[in-house]
Parts: sequence; C-alpha cells; structure tokens
Amino acid sequence: MTIKTLLAGCCATALYAGAASAQEVRLFSFEGYAEPEWVDAFEAETGCSVSATYTGSVDEMFARMQGSDGADFDLISIDTSLFGRYTGQGLLQPYDMSKIPNVANLLPAFQDVAEAQIDGETYGVPIAWGSLALIYDNEAFPDGVDSWEALWSAENAGHVLALDDANNNVTNAAIVLGYEDPFNLTDAQFEAVKQKLIEMKSNLISYYAGFEEGVNIWENSQARLMFSMGEFQAVELAERGFDVTYAIPKEGGIGWLDTWALSKGAQDTDCAHAYVNYYLNGTVGPTMTELKGYGNTTSESAGLDYADRLVWLAPVEDFDRRVQVWNEVKAAN
Amino acid sequence: MNAARPSPLSGLAVGAAIWAPLLALIFAPLMSFLIYGFFQVEDNQIQRTLSLETYREALTNPAYMRTFGKTVLLALQVSLACLVLGYATAYFVWRRPARWRAPLLFLLAAPLLMSYVIRIYAMRGVLGANGLLNGVLTTLGIVDEPVTAFLFNLTAVKLTLIVILLPFATLPTFIALERIPASLLQASSDLGAGAGRTFRSVVLPLSLPGATVGAMFTFVLAMGDFLAPELVGGIDGFTYGRLVFTQFGLAFNWPLGAALSALLLAVALCVVFGARAIGSARWRR
Repeated sequence: MTIKTLLAGCCATALYAGAASAQEVRLFSFEGYAEPEWVDAFEAETGCSVSATYTGSVDEMFARMQGSDGADFDLISIDTSLFGRYTGQGLLQPYDMSKIPNVANLLPAFQDVAEAQIDGETYGVPIAWGSLALIYDNEAFPDGVDSWEALWSAENAGHVLALDDANNNVTNAAIVLGYEDPFNLTDAQFEAVKQKLIEMKSNLISYYAGFEEGVNIWENSQARLMFSMGEFQAVELAERGFDVTYAIPKEGGIGWLDTWALSKGAQDTDCAHAYVNYYLNGTVGPTMTELKGYGNTTSESAGLDYADRLVWLAPVEDFDRRVQVWNEVKAAN
Repeated sequence: MNAARPSPLSGLAVGAAIWAPLLALIFAPLMSFLIYGFFQVEDNQIQRTLSLETYREALTNPAYMRTFGKTVLLALQVSLACLVLGYATAYFVWRRPARWRAPLLFLLAAPLLMSYVIRIYAMRGVLGANGLLNGVLTTLGIVDEPVTAFLFNLTAVKLTLIVILLPFATLPTFIALERIPASLLQASSDLGAGAGRTFRSVVLPLSLPGATVGAMFTFVLAMGDFLAPELVGGIDGFTYGRLVFTQFGLAFNWPLGAALSALLLAVALCVVFGARAIGSARWRR
C-alpha cells in the first residue's frame, strides 16, 4: 500500500510537471469557476488554455498548496479569511494590477476588500460570494425548516448529510451554539463545539467532500437535509429532479467571498492575470450567477437577498487546532 | 571449476545493479517516512527537530487506537470472506475442462483492468437506495421499500472490498491448484478414495497454502485502503487508512501521518513474512 501510494504520488507529480506547458493557466478551485460557457471564449480570445482541478474542501486546498510550495497551480480560489494563513506560509504573490484593468467593473462593495490587501499590494480579486446554508427536501418538510437544530433532531436520524471540512464545521457549530464570535473560541467553547459535532454523527448518512459528491450521495441515499457547500448544490439537485429549498436558518449561516489569488509558484503569470481580468469583464459574473447560483461581484445578483443574515468568514484563532478537533470528531465513536 | 567462477569485480557490479535501484526506490523513501515521524508540526510548518512526541501521540491516542482495532477487524473479515469465496471460485474454474479455464480466469481478472475508483462507484450504484440490488429486491417483492442498510456503513465497505479484492485471492489459489500433479489425484482414486476423500486428503492440503497467501494479501490491501471507506463507508468509514490520508491530504500533518503509517507498515510486514513462511514451507517438500 505504501509503495502504491508513493508510486501514485510520483505519477501525479510527473503529470503536473508535464501539464505545465506554456500559455496555460492552471486553476485549483471549487466547482463552478471554470465553466465552458466562458472558458471556451477566453481560450479563443487569449490563446491561453485553462486546466482546472477541483478541491473537496478548504483543508485539502491548503494541504496541497503547502505540500508543493504552490508550484502545482497558478490561480487558486480562496475566501477572504484565508489570506493570513496563505501569505504567512509564503504561498501567494501580489498581482500586477495594471494587467487587470477590469477591476473597474467591480461593484463598489468589492472595490477595496481590505482582507485581500497586504502592505499596499493586492493579493486577491473578488469573484463570487455565497453561503453555506441548509438544503432541505420540500416533501419531507412541508412546513419548512427554520433552525440548524433539525440536523440534530432525532426524527431526522439517517437522513442528514454534512460537508467534510474542519473550519466550516467548527464555525457553523459555534453559530448554532449561539457564540458571539465563532472565529475566536475559548477552550470551553472548543470542547462544546466538539461535543456538538460528535452528537450530529448519529444522524448522519455520510460526510461528503466536494459539491458533486454531496449531490451524488443525496441521489443514492434517503437524504432530506444537508449542510451545504453552497448555492450550486441546490441548483444541481433541482436539475436532477429533487424538490429542495436552500435556506438560511434563524441562527444565521456562514457567508463567504471567494477571490482568485495568484500562487507563488505560478508559471504563466500573464495567462493567470488574463484569466482574472476576463472574469471581471461584466458577462462572466452574471453567467456564473445564472448557472451556479453564486453571487457575482460585477453586477447585482437577482435572488441573493440574504447577505445581511450571513456571518462572514473571518480569520480564526488557530486553524491547526480546528483541524485537530475535526479529526477527533471523525474518529470518535 | 575455477574457470567457471566469475571475477569478484563483475559479481560486485551485478550486485550493485540489483541493489542500487532497490535502495533508491524502496528503502530510501521508506526510511524518509520513518524519519518524518520524528518531526513535529507547529504553526503549519514541519519542525525538523527529532523527538518521540509524534510517535507517542500516534501510538497512544485512544481515538487512533480504536480506529486501528476497528480496521484490523474489518480487514480480517474481508480476507476471511475472500479466502472462502476465492477458494470456491478457483476450485470451480480448476474443475472445468482445460479450454474453459483461460477464458474464465480472464473474466475473473477483467475488473482489474478498470480504474479502482470506477469500481467503487459501480458498487455504490449497485448498493444504493435507488441501486440495482434494491431494484431487484423491490421488483421481486422481497422488500416494499428500498433498503438503505447496504450503503454508507461498514457493511458496504466490507462488501465493496470483498468484490474488489476477490481476484487477489482467487488467482494464487488457482495457481496452487494447477500445480497439483494429476498423477496424485489418479493415485488417490486408484487407492479407493472417493471425490470427497481426495479433496480432503490431497487437494486441500496442497492448495491451502496458496489460498492463505492470497487471503493475506487481501488483508494487507484492505488494511490500508482509504478510498472505499471514504466513498461507501459514510460515517463509519473512518478507517485507519482514512486517518493516515487525512494527515497528508487535509491536515498537513505529515509527521503524524508518517508515524501512523509506521504501525500499518509493521502489520503489513508481519503478514507478508507470515505469508512467505507458509508459502515456502509447503513447496520445499
């Protein structure tokens, strides 16, 4: 097994090295940021080809960037709470903003996002926002679901899905427990969050990693409730014929603002800048909103009226500790 | 006699040619990961100071140990099932006329040509609430509602691993059966033994070592697997292989992952050497 893993690792490395040819931008992101609806036009217009790798979680993305010092990817999609973590490890480099004139198209709210600016340099360009809300089956819940506690309620045992991601689970449990600052937990709060997450396990069908994986498990199981990775999953479930609602429960829900960030190990920085610039051309944003349900940053997004009910992701007290807690939750009986 | 002896120098060259790639490709990576276990992680950085702290954590944390015990049990059950099913399958193929054996063996091994991930997803399609198995059961009226107990639990992991690992148990057993000289079977029958007696006294003793070795390999493979538990195991699917994977793939704690793997390696080595002892003891006669 060890040898097999090592071999797989070697092959993967060789593939990445082989894939890094000229005139290419290598994306590492969540699903929905490299759709053929605009990638084809971008490739034709600029001569840069796009290769996208999708991640299952925030944790996985960081571990892979850290493991390769960023050499495997040019652009990564990270939310605004993560810049300290990434720049602290020297995994990002600032943009040359003269190559991204389309930032002029950003809505005023996204013009100067402080978290993405460090020492006067821009490290992140906002491209999408959304939430990690609750998805429920309309048939099973004709009166709707207004509280996260439904995920813990005994009558829903065997019908719940949750994402496999340390920080989002810890933060969401802290929100459900009503903590003032879900990003700076005390020791006692950490313990309570851990217990709360362990309690949820008796209701769960499975954790899932990645948008598609969550939707696939929903299809193959008796799922009725899901701690979702984002609007896109509700869109996808509806397309597969499921009658579901995407709801921000009364306790609130996690909100995220994703940016394109430039990897320290980027190979073709011109193509990388070109892709970011293209993303803000004013048509990609609305297309993405229409297809995936995320809010975009260049035009008002119809239907996304809940921004003020979200708890926006912020830097956390100790990311390692959150990962450790999450591991203990998953290994617990 | 002297003339036939190769010069010591060429012997050395041959030795180096064999050992150098072996050292570089197998022992060096193994050593590097054993050494990683002596490092620690602080502030997302791997600290290259040597201490026993990470190994201590890996070998004493009760959650990790419980996961280890659960996984050993799982692998034992899987390998036992593979032993029985693999033997029955191999025996069936062996008893067919010679011209049928090769095509049947090919059919048995054909799944190995498919990607591992695709085979697991196929199993999900079979076991799921809307899957093939439930479709058959509901159509036949055996159950009214789709049974959800087939997927996203340890049973699903076991079923998936048994289906996927079966060829590894079948093929060594078949080879062991093939090596039994036909003259022994004839002799047994000449001396008045019936089919059952011949099987018990001749076929089984001569083929069991091969079957056991095959089962042991399925044990090692089941022990370290992390994809099947992830994709069909649901909440129960947090096996030792997943635990190790998590340290590398998600937590960026390579030292802990390496220390945890050391235990896995120790178990695998014990089993492999055990298999070797069983395998060679029989054939030396």
